[in-house]
Amino acid sequence: MINRTRRALGALWPQFHRQDNKLLDPYFTFTDYHKIWALGICVLVATALVPLLVVTIIHYQLLQKSVDSELTLRTERLASNARRAVTFFLEERLNALRFTVNEIAYDQMTDPDQLAEILRNLKLGFGGLTDLSVIAHTGTQVAYAGPFNLGGRDYSNQRWFIECQKHHFYVSEIFRGYRDVPHIIIAVKFFRRDGSFFVLRATLDTERLIQTLASYETGAHAEIFLINRSGIVQTPSKHQGDIFKKMSLPVPAYSQRTQVTMAEDDQMRSLIVGYAYISTQIADTPFILMVIKQKAGMMQVWQQLRSNLNWFVGSAILVILVVIVLTCSYMVNKLYHADKSKAETMAIMEQSNQLASIGQLAAGVAHEINNPLALINETAGYVKDLFVLKEQGQKDDELIGYIDDILDAVERCGTITRQLLGFARKFEVKIQKVKLNEVISDVLVFHNKEAIYRNIKVTVDVETDRGKLQQILVNLVNNAFQAVDNGCILDIEASPAGADKGTGLGLAITYGLVKKLHGEIFVKSKVHEGTTFTITLPTRIQKEIIENEGHTGG
Amino acid sequence: MKVILVDDEKKFATMLAKRLALRGIDIDYVNTGEDAIVKAEMERYDVAILDVKMPGIGGIELERKLKELDPCMKIIFLTGHGSETDFETGSAEAACYLAKPIQIDELMKILHEVTG
Repeated sequence: MINRTRRALGALWPQFHRQDNKLLDPYFTFTDYHKIWALGICVLVATALVPLLVVTIIHYQLLQKSVDSELTLRTERLASNARRAVTFFLEERLNALRFTVNEIAYDQMTDPDQLAEILRNLKLGFGGLTDLSVIAHTGTQVAYAGPFNLGGRDYSNQRWFIECQKHHFYVSEIFRGYRDVPHIIIAVKFFRRDGSFFVLRATLDTERLIQTLASYETGAHAEIFLINRSGIVQTPSKHQGDIFKKMSLPVPAYSQRTQVTMAEDDQMRSLIVGYAYISTQIADTPFILMVIKQKAGMMQVWQQLRSNLNWFVGSAILVILVVIVLTCSYMVNKLYHADKSKAETMAIMEQSNQLASIGQLAAGVAHEINNPLALINETAGYVKDLFVLKEQGQKDDELIGYIDDILDAVERCGTITRQLLGFARKFEVKIQKVKLNEVISDVLVFHNKEAIYRNIKVTVDVETDRGKLQQILVNLVNNAFQAVDNGCILDIEASPAGADKGTGLGLAITYGLVKKLHGEIFVKSKVHEGTTFTITLPTRIQKEIIENEGHTGG
Repeated sequence: MKVILVDDEKKFATMLAKRLALRGIDIDYVNTGEDAIVKAEMERYDVAILDVKMPGIGGIELERKLKELDPCMKIIFLTGHGSETDFETGSAEAACYLAKPIQIDELMKILHEVTG
């Protein structure tokens, strides 16, 4: 479980230098894989996400705009319809009064019974009328029909009477009046034949008007009500203040047409405000129709859509990020491993180059030593000849023995220099017929007695590079003899720590040589028991392969 | 048998010549290929012992020139370059290669072999 988590984390956050080998560092093409990784992720994320985010934002804005204009349009239509209804309500009743004063004689109207009859008829026709009264030009009420006895009152100083005198028609605001019941007064002025005038006044029940308005209300987030021109609320409003109190919103500017504006309430909520100044064909009215919609409420559908969109965009971004990180990690990991194997190859190549240089150096040294060695050989030989062949001086067996020691030593040095010279040629493969046992016995010249003691016999007939095979065996035998000195534990590590035992490169070189001959080398080792090296070589190597390798490699 | 030894290492040539003389070989020795040609023009040798690497005329070239003078002359090469595999470029007719330092007995054996 922990391992799996670690592997998953490794895929997202790879450690490119987990098996760090400082020796390989100079051979790497790139130095900072984390930087490449991070840069790749940044570039890919930017390329993938920027267009996505830009398109999303543009889409949001377009959607918002269309939702806004849709809301505005609907509010305007609603306000327009409600305005027509209110206008019609008032106009109808004004027309009824006008019809009455035109058609019915003043004398008839001033008769209370007749007036009550007219009121009943009007109530039947239109409803919403509470009472009717006739006021003479002096301002004195001359007749009254209705539930309250207001006969004989003087209205001459009242504003509505003065206004009606001036404009021939009058529509009042909604007010409580003497009866403490909200109502509207409408009045019509009519000239009599004698030049004087009278006014027919009716009180309208506001309940009808409120019902009419309520029938246009749609949903919990919209409300329709009336205000007067100073902003006093005239019909009940849920949010914009009590009736007969000042509306919390400012009074909208005058316009002949239905208008829609944006506003904010005292809690900073966005409102869509539709309004219309109500004006009948007969008379102007003090009313302004207000349609107020809470934007937040109306936007719920849009917000749901936006929330869905946000989820989708969020998930898409997450998927993109994960895919990008995984892809980057995979690619950079591949790059890292390719680079690493290249670095390893280069390190090995450099090592083999160094070995070749060492070989050449060894050959040079061997060659230089060979000449003085040859001179020592001949001089010592001549001294011996003088004693033995020419019988000059006294023949002294002890002295001859010493000279033989010199000659033996020279012979041994000669063998070594020949080996060293051979070592220099190890780097060119040359296929020829070899007898393995001959090669081996050549090798064992170094450790003649020990080799016989260890009883190594090989009888294989192969075609291969004699020099290399020789070198392989030299190395193995050297190694074996060193191991024996070391207390029978074969140190198979090619570590420089065993410098007193040689360069420590013996086995590494051996491995390289075996590979060069297209072979394999296997080691089986047990502490205190011994080590078995198994070398498998092809019995025939096609010369062409080797030559081709030589050309391409060269 | 008459033998000529050519080696640029003067002391080595002297010593080897003395040793061969002690073993009854009629030997002349010179230190350059040019001198060897002069000698060979004057005298007839059965065998020439040549160092491969010499300043001026080297052993391989000298072999060719000596063979021109006397096709029957046998050639033994001496080399400081280790094993005989060095001499692939040399003439196939060359009798033998010996690596320095040489074993006098081996050289004697070869001398007797080549002269029959």
